[in-house]
Amino acid sequence: MTRGHRRVHRLLWPLLAVVVALGFTMALVKRPPPEQPADSAPKTRVDALTPEPTK
Amino acid sequence: MSVGFQAVQWNRRKIIYDTILIAGVVLFVGTFMTGGALRNPPADYAAWIGLRIKALGTCAFTMLTIILVIGPLTRLSPRFLPLLYNRRHFGVLTFFVALAHAYSVVDWFGVQGAMSDLVTEMTNNPKFAQFIGFPIKALGLTGLSILFLLAATSHDFWLAFLTPRVWKALHMLLYVAYGVLVMHVALGVMQEDQRIHIPLLLGGSFALVTGLHLAAAWRERDAAHASRDNWIVVGAPESIRDKRARIVVAPDGERIAVFRDGDQIGALTNLCAHQNGPLGEGCIINGLVTCPWHGYEYRLADGCAPPPFTEKLATYQVRLRDGVIEVDPVALAPGTPASIRIA
Repeated sequence: MTRGHRRVHRLLWPLLAVVVALGFTMALVKRPPPEQPADSAPKTRVDALTPEPTK
Repeated sequence: MSVGFQAVQWNRRKIIYDTILIAGVVLFVGTFMTGGALRNPPADYAAWIGLRIKALGTCAFTMLTIILVIGPLTRLSPRFLPLLYNRRHFGVLTFFVALAHAYSVVDWFGVQGAMSDLVTEMTNNPKFAQFIGFPIKALGLTGLSILFLLAATSHDFWLAFLTPRVWKALHMLLYVAYGVLVMHVALGVMQEDQRIHIPLLLGGSFALVTGLHLAAAWRERDAAHASRDNWIVVGAPESIRDKRARIVVAPDGERIAVFRDGDQIGALTNLCAHQNGPLGEGCIINGLVTCPWHGYEYRLADGCAPPPFTEKLATYQVRLRDGVIEVDPVALAPGTPASIRIA
């Protein structure tokens, strides 16, 4: 690896690392939440006591 | 160059290395598919292909991560050098595993009778402007194309044809391929599979590659700072193994190979004049510094190849002060005598 390659390497990979780290973080943040089990989830006491709104 | 020059050829060590590599890939993919099938038995043939896609993709990404950590590992410890010398075979095999992964994706669409969906996804997809939902197959294809380019030009013929400078610059594209493939996984399977282990493994791999590069750079920076009067401190003469070298790094990043041949100490550039091979990882044979890659030979005293050959290397001034070898990081003109006797 010549001096020129080393210079490019030192410039390129930190830049790329930052871009990929940002991309990975964004992908992690925007990841959809795990699916909740359908209607089987027990309602809380407050939910149970609160009447369903009339449509 | 050497009178007995031979191009790098297959030898027993390379065959053993490649056998271990192929066995490792078979074992990885086999274990992944067996474990996956036992945990969640595939319902049909398409599901089997889906499992194969995951197994081959995981294997290719793991191999790529290993390839990228070999460089910094060898800078941290010479014990990893055998991995470096065979890294090209590792890279070519990684391309074939990635190709098998891509073929499996096409196969999956074919089995479902949805090949037109694949074509539409690649050519007429409105989600190219989105972040989440970005067509990950385009990212995968980009990474695969780079891996193909690198695998196709990995042979020594291309190194000679393109010149070492261009070849090395081209092969730095591997970093781009890795970045693209991290995003291929992050926007693909990491979005579909909600389990925590995927971001952990993906982030961990990326952090490992980045962390080792930083550690190697930090260590070289420290070594370059260990200097007196701008001369680099190498160490006691006995710290250099006889007929071997210690590689030191100048403040500008240039690597210098400091050899000891009995009581003679000399410093040469670490780049062989042939293909920029790492001269300091070679040894002195028959009184000549011999490059580990192709056996090019140079005199330690002045960096010149023995007659009738004409290659010359840059040399560096060395001195012994207080029982410690020091090197002037300013390169002398190629072929300038600069070695010393310490007896």
